[in-house]
Amino acid sequence: MRSIDARVRILTASLLLSVLSSGVAMAQESVSASEDPPFILICLGPFLLIALGFVVFGILWAVFAPIMFVYGVIFSERNLNKRMSDLVLREGASIEHFGKDPLSTLKGGHIVGGAKETGLVYSSIVFSPSHWQLIIAWINQLFGGRIDVIHRVISVGRAEAKQRLREQAQAAGWDEVLNVRIDTAEMTPASKPKGTKAVEVFAYGTGIKFG
Amino acid sequence: MSARSEVQVLLYPALGMQHIRDGIMVVNTETIAGKVITQNLGVVGGSTVRAKHIGKDIGALFKNIGGGELKAYTELLEESRTEAIARMVADASARGANAIVNVRFATSAVTAGASELFAYGTAVTVE
Repeated sequence: MRSIDARVRILTASLLLSVLSSGVAMAQESVSASEDPPFILICLGPFLLIALGFVVFGILWAVFAPIMFVYGVIFSERNLNKRMSDLVLREGASIEHFGKDPLSTLKGGHIVGGAKETGLVYSSIVFSPSHWQLIIAWINQLFGGRIDVIHRVISVGRAEAKQRLREQAQAAGWDEVLNVRIDTAEMTPASKPKGTKAVEVFAYGTGIKFG
Repeated sequence: MSARSEVQVLLYPALGMQHIRDGIMVVNTETIAGKVITQNLGVVGGSTVRAKHIGKDIGALFKNIGGGELKAYTELLEESRTEAIARMVADASARGANAIVNVRFATSAVTAGASELFAYGTAVTVE
């Protein structure tokens, strides 16, 4: 589907380019006696530049889209698993640093001594499934039931956002992070379904230092 | 004050107010442990719409096919969140608050490449 799209784009761009350049050539023949650049070329200049941009993008797309697709087929699952096992290690390290999981959704009523200092902590990630995984998800959708591929991608993204929150809290020297909220939003607006297919996860909370 | 500069103040309350920002506590809990809220100064907010340049958009487009983190967009969110918070804090300090409690964030994707971020909370004075 994508490659046909790209082909159409290249075809239109090159057609446009050839029509424009033949027009320019004719104009050049008619005014070849004079030394000034032909008027029509100056008029068409911006259009030529835009057409050139489309051609360059079309070539890039035709070359790199299949490469990235194959890369996704081979490596996307492997990268996901690697990120998962990395996350487990990093989570272990920060839990060891704090002595417990620092994140909680409590509002701070349980703190007896009061806070010495408070402040906002936030972190985010934009995470996307590969197109290969989207195809698998589409096939899974035909049969219904659990769609594990997408579930794994989104939960890894969310765990990564949480882990970044822990690391930010560690870097800022907070003792605990209260009232943690995790927002998930889609990058692609519903009005533009052909855009980037990604999920943005964005976690925030209140860092607190005990008095 | 001309209409244009009023619009400027409305859109960019952060302009020229960096020096009074430091004293403000920003939390997303309803109260601050160990402190008492003495005065409610109303809802303050800050928002921003940002985008990355087309080169990074195209890079993200290709990265999207392969899957994984889209670093350009993560960066974009990080920048716009920081800016929204800075504007909210400037708004609060203009009202004479020394803390903002119960901060919330709202995100919306205006177009595929741009993100709108809105941070809002209640400006209060605490003791």
